[in-house]
Amino acid sequence: MRRFGVAVLAAASAVLLLAFSGALFGHSPWSLLSILGSGSVGSRFALAGTLLKAVPLLLTGLSVVIAFRAGVWNIGGEGQFIVGGLAALVASRWGVVASLAAAMLAGAAWASIASAMRLWRNAPEVLTTILLNFTAIHLLGWSVNGPLREHAAQYPQTDPAGAALPVLGGVHAGIVLAVAASVFAWWLLYRTAEGLRLRATGFNPNAARWAGIRVGAQLARAMAISGAAAGLAGGVELLGVTHRLFERFAAGYGYSGIAVALLAQLHPLATIASALFFGALVTGAGELQRAANISAGLATFGQAVVILTLIVFENVRSRR
Amino acid sequence: MIHLSHITKTFGPTRAVDDVSLEVQRGEIVALAGENGAGKTTLMRIAAGEIDADGGTVNREGRAELVHQHFLLVDALTIAENLALTHLGFRFTTRRMIEREAREIIAGTGIELRDVSRRVSELSVGERSKLELIKAIARRPATLILDEPTSVLTPNETGELFAVMRRVAGEGTAVVFISHKLPEVLAVAQRVIVMRAGRVVAESAARDTNVQALANAMVVAQSPGLPVAGQLGDRVTGQPNIKAIVGVAGNGQSELAAKLRDEHREAGHIPEDRSRDGIVAELTIAENLALKAKRWNARDAARHAERMIALYSIRASGPLQRAGDLSGGNQQKVILARELDRRPPMIVAAEPTRGLDIAATRFVHEQLRAAAADGASILLITSDLNEAFALAGTIQVIYRGRLSEAMTPEEASRRVAALMAGVA
Repeated sequence: MRRFGVAVLAAASAVLLLAFSGALFGHSPWSLLSILGSGSVGSRFALAGTLLKAVPLLLTGLSVVIAFRAGVWNIGGEGQFIVGGLAALVASRWGVVASLAAAMLAGAAWASIASAMRLWRNAPEVLTTILLNFTAIHLLGWSVNGPLREHAAQYPQTDPAGAALPVLGGVHAGIVLAVAASVFAWWLLYRTAEGLRLRATGFNPNAARWAGIRVGAQLARAMAISGAAAGLAGGVELLGVTHRLFERFAAGYGYSGIAVALLAQLHPLATIASALFFGALVTGAGELQRAANISAGLATFGQAVVILTLIVFENVRSRR
Repeated sequence: MIHLSHITKTFGPTRAVDDVSLEVQRGEIVALAGENGAGKTTLMRIAAGEIDADGGTVNREGRAELVHQHFLLVDALTIAENLALTHLGFRFTTRRMIEREAREIIAGTGIELRDVSRRVSELSVGERSKLELIKAIARRPATLILDEPTSVLTPNETGELFAVMRRVAGEGTAVVFISHKLPEVLAVAQRVIVMRAGRVVAESAARDTNVQALANAMVVAQSPGLPVAGQLGDRVTGQPNIKAIVGVAGNGQSELAAKLRDEHREAGHIPEDRSRDGIVAELTIAENLALKAKRWNARDAARHAERMIALYSIRASGPLQRAGDLSGGNQQKVILARELDRRPPMIVAAEPTRGLDIAATRFVHEQLRAAAADGASILLITSDLNEAFALAGTIQVIYRGRLSEAMTPEEASRRVAALMAGVA
């Protein structure tokens, strides 16, 4: 309950700081708050925008939840998201299911490169996954300028994917998938022996090893599941929103997943609420830019405030 | 140096300390004895100012240092660097200066600890506890509190520790010695205070009491006879399928246990460092018990945990209590329940009674004997010779990573001291 309180406090302080710092540009904080509100949940259109942003955030957030729960620092959501999108595009000619399955496999495989380097040379995941992000970004850049470039050869982007997610009331079906994924992640973590061992490994790898858990393999599996979730996010974003790949396809969703997961206190079901909050923040910040000419980059600032607030309060708590 | 009056402290449903008053004078060595979970550590944490009491007053003159049962050292740093962390102010320095000062600090405490450039992760448990002691004494506290310091020490090291305690007390420091090894308590303390269930139940000058009287005070609810293997000096014949490996800590016991863990996954393994290797503090008792199970179902696990809590008399509020909130002895029982309940054909128990009180030690010994009688072969790795002789039918000595030949207890009783010292 207390952790929940801290999370709400962090979210609220992010919104308030956003509004009051906007006052520096000569707007009243109240009008900015009302723009944020109406621009994110105030209309059917705004709400659809929020949900569209929340879907990839939820999946990359879950990716981080699984990895961090196991104690493996997967910062590579961005790269896994991109290779997920690439694989989904290539496999889209065989339909939505094959396309999303390919996205998950690709994300898992990309993340597993980091696991392999850990097992082979004890290379820390924090570094390898970040570096793999850059590799993926350049792989995408090369693909959309080269082999996968659209037939019209006009822009550095691919042709539309051969399949698309059905649309339900203004939002693509990925939202159902993402919510199902959170329930699955909760079930996996709290209702299976695999999840118990994963959490035990995350809390205390020494004790896990003494209890007979093969810690290296456990971490590799957590990394693969985490990568699959981020890859799925990329596939869903392609088939549901962008339909094409281009250089800025990932748009920071992989990194934002870390903020989403931390605000959710690494709980898979709370991640739904957290993703909705960040989705609303991003959508509302876009409206701020249009209506009040304040940079939408403020949404990133909001993310930072959330994480800082959480860290400060966690720290205060652990010292008592 | 410390005056506590009417202290109370409650954790959740349990009253850990219940209206306790006590006083420790300059130059006095006072032993605080009692079962696991009797409230000794909590009381002393309050005395040292680590946690606040719910009620009562604490009067402290000067600094109080509490040396914990678990280590508060930075594994990745060297001995010298660990000392520098607590003893040097902020200034520019060099490795050589830090190491010279570390050697001076160590020499000043009269405790022997060689080669300050070794990393803590390479040290034996006995050496780590020496380093903790050095850290505390070097700050010249007015009161020095030692929480179960001998549980990780060999007989020789224990002797060294007592000499240090006497010298520090001779210099005017008040010393509190938390222990449940009653012969040791009587050997070193001038006054003994016994706690049970959060209250002081007996207090006496050491010369006016004896082991039996103290043991009765500690566990009055249980049978008065109290034959505890090893601790009270009685010798029970060892069992043929229990083999003990004895030696001074740091001669390869940890490495041996880790190797056996990796090669015999089907065996039951009781690690020597229970808070680091045995328990996942953040998980519940039920979850810790289920770590080796093939399936996990919250309801079945809770039911199983309830059975284990009753069977192993684990003092807990229920299956959903965080394992990290249990006392050391109860954590050990959780590990024992997890490792023994599956009736493995082989059990490797490393220091299984380290830091446990009489009742818990007896319980662990009974469990190991029962498993042996059941046909399991048991390897007991211990630095407690009494324990080895009480349980094992075969004894081997480990010295600098090598095992001696296997000996009968009779043969071992003649040769073990020389073999442990490496002079045979």
